Amino acid sequence: MNEQQLITDTIRRILQDQCTKATVDAAEAGVWPAGLWQTLEDNGLTLAGISEASGGTGGELAASLLIIREAASVGAPLPLAETFIAARLCELVGAQRPVGPVTVSGSAFTLTQEGAGYRLQGQAESVAFANLCSTLIVVGSDASGAYLCLVPLAEISQEVTQTMAGDPQSDFAINCLLPASAVFASDAGLSNQLWCLGAATRSVMMAGAMTSILEQSVQYAMERQQFGRPIAQFQAIQQQLAVLAGEVAACQRAADSLNEALVPLNEFDIAIAKARISEAVGSATDIAHQVHGAMGYTMEHGLNLRTRRLWSWRDEYGNEDHWQQSIGRYVVTQGADNTWKTITDAG
Amino acid sequence: MFQGLQFEPVKLPQSSVALRAEVRAFVEGELAADYLRNSDFNAGESAEFSQRLGQQGWIGMTWPKQYGGAERSFLDRYVVTEELLAAGAPVGAHWIADRQSGGQLLKFGTEAQRLEYLPRIVRGECYFSIGMSEPDTGSDLASVRTNGVKVDGGWLLNGSKIWSSGAHMNHYMIALVRTEPQSTNRHAGLSQFIVDLHDPNVTVKGILNLAGDSDFNHVFFDDVFVPDASVIGTPGNGWEQVVSELGYERSGPERFLSAFRVLVEFIREVGDNPNAAQLALIGRLLANLVTLRRMSISVAGMLEAGKTPITEAALIKDLGNTYERLVPELIRVLAPAKTSQRFQNTLHQCILHAPSFTLRGGTREILRGVIARGLGLR
Repeated sequence: MNEQQLITDTIRRILQDQCTKATVDAAEAGVWPAGLWQTLEDNGLTLAGISEASGGTGGELAASLLIIREAASVGAPLPLAETFIAARLCELVGAQRPVGPVTVSGSAFTLTQEGAGYRLQGQAESVAFANLCSTLIVVGSDASGAYLCLVPLAEISQEVTQTMAGDPQSDFAINCLLPASAVFASDAGLSNQLWCLGAATRSVMMAGAMTSILEQSVQYAMERQQFGRPIAQFQAIQQQLAVLAGEVAACQRAADSLNEALVPLNEFDIAIAKARISEAVGSATDIAHQVHGAMGYTMEHGLNLRTRRLWSWRDEYGNEDHWQQSIGRYVVTQGADNTWKTITDAG
Repeated sequence: MFQGLQFEPVKLPQSSVALRAEVRAFVEGELAADYLRNSDFNAGESAEFSQRLGQQGWIGMTWPKQYGGAERSFLDRYVVTEELLAAGAPVGAHWIADRQSGGQLLKFGTEAQRLEYLPRIVRGECYFSIGMSEPDTGSDLASVRTNGVKVDGGWLLNGSKIWSSGAHMNHYMIALVRTEPQSTNRHAGLSQFIVDLHDPNVTVKGILNLAGDSDFNHVFFDDVFVPDASVIGTPGNGWEQVVSELGYERSGPERFLSAFRVLVEFIREVGDNPNAAQLALIGRLLANLVTLRRMSISVAGMLEAGKTPITEAALIKDLGNTYERLVPELIRVLAPAKTSQRFQNTLHQCILHAPSFTLRGGTREILRGVIARGLGLR
């Protein structure tokens, strides 16, 4: 059994035991699944691919993408992606990562020297799981460049709301003094790293959830009887599910490309994946819900655990229009007659 | 899980980098500046071009050397085919022979058949038509009525085949024929024959398509004698053979690149000053195309590994056809107010031929049925 299969089996077993629909429902009602997080941490699954020197469990970065994808496929209400992005950014600047779940904000912050430390100022918007994390990681900028900043959240008052997924998010102002030990100089690419890692993780999360809604829809169609037979036997249903399967297969393939897109950062591949997968969410969730009928529209049914998250994730870290335009700008710059070369160079 | 939904990432081998550069340079040298490039594999045919391609060793390139092939991988072949299509080269003459007829002979044909036909196909001198559909047989392929009766030394064929692209220019057709009366097993009793299209008892009548081109044909068989030596595989095994053929027919880049030149000309038209909607459209079409291409390369990898990816091929064709149907529709409404004649010709040719994209090689309804089977729904 290879490493990847071992990780897949482990995460699936844990999720099956400890991330039921009841777990997700409770989290949406405000109960943090501490036990689930602890189990994942104990198994080294929250920091896979992060070097041991930076406090991670080593291995390939792709392992983290795999774990994040699997967790997303059951709607796990955890800041796994945020913790991974934070750890990866810490690793890039040589910082020791903070313990426990950590979140990140891609908003712009200003940094000014004040005494022996720095003052960080700015507005944090829609920060995922910030109410459940003790540390926030942001990129602060001054005239000379960008710095990774580790911000303790305990003292900051947050306005907590929920995303369409039911996951918590917070808005809050930051105006705090950080010791020099919490500020790390880096090159200016840090903000882009954060944004791209955000888009990459949301992409694999959507791919995971998309695969799940296909499985759920096929299973439902085979069980649900109408007109005296399973609705799976109707061509109208078969054709719809075939279209869904095509979208899901494309999303899986687009997400698979990200395994090699993080080091070095391949912004083109990340743009392709986020644009392609976000684009698919609308029609894919439409089919899944249509096949499930009114049953799938209820809060009680497990389908919405995935579809609500898909509707939320497709907009986070740039919706399809954002990434399509970024691809478009690049292609246009290359010139019409180099379009094919751009495509083949992407591999 | 489901069958046929896994498209493992496959990297093109290092050998394909140099090959790609060679093909690209060759095609650029072949096409005149005023040639209206069209990425639809069916759009243009040139025996001269096919022969020069053959001289380069780029037809039948996966086949054994004893039949003139180059014993190169399916991934190398993939590179050649996509370069030709992307450049909009006239590949129609040899396309079917290279893509499926030759492979069919290699897989099911006799040694004598391979020796007779494959080296000529490789040289770009021998072209094949597909003989599957009939006037009363489209998607329901098992209902073919053209029949073959055993006679001394061969078979006597009667009936007709339709939609056979290039039959008026090609040399042979592989015809699917009923050789035993239909039984409860509709798939039994079918056979494949190599029919000489120049036989005096074969009549080829052109059919104008809506674009005004006479590309496809109605081909009549009136007591056409086909010798036993021209039966492909085992008489009665035709269905199994034809299904195998479709794996090659459906998964290639011609299933999503047909409208590619429209995209290129659109990018040329928007020039240095695109608006946000045009940028987003270019990005959307690229994101879809890059992903489809990667899926198709995965299938080339499966073919290389000796697999028969029927469901995967159907899935790529359905996704790819949907995409190439969408390209001219979306570009049309976002094109600048004033566009060049070249852009308009490219766009209009694509729109006029687009209805064929989702019909040839299996309709979208048939493909989705194949995918549904992979999902375990039927």
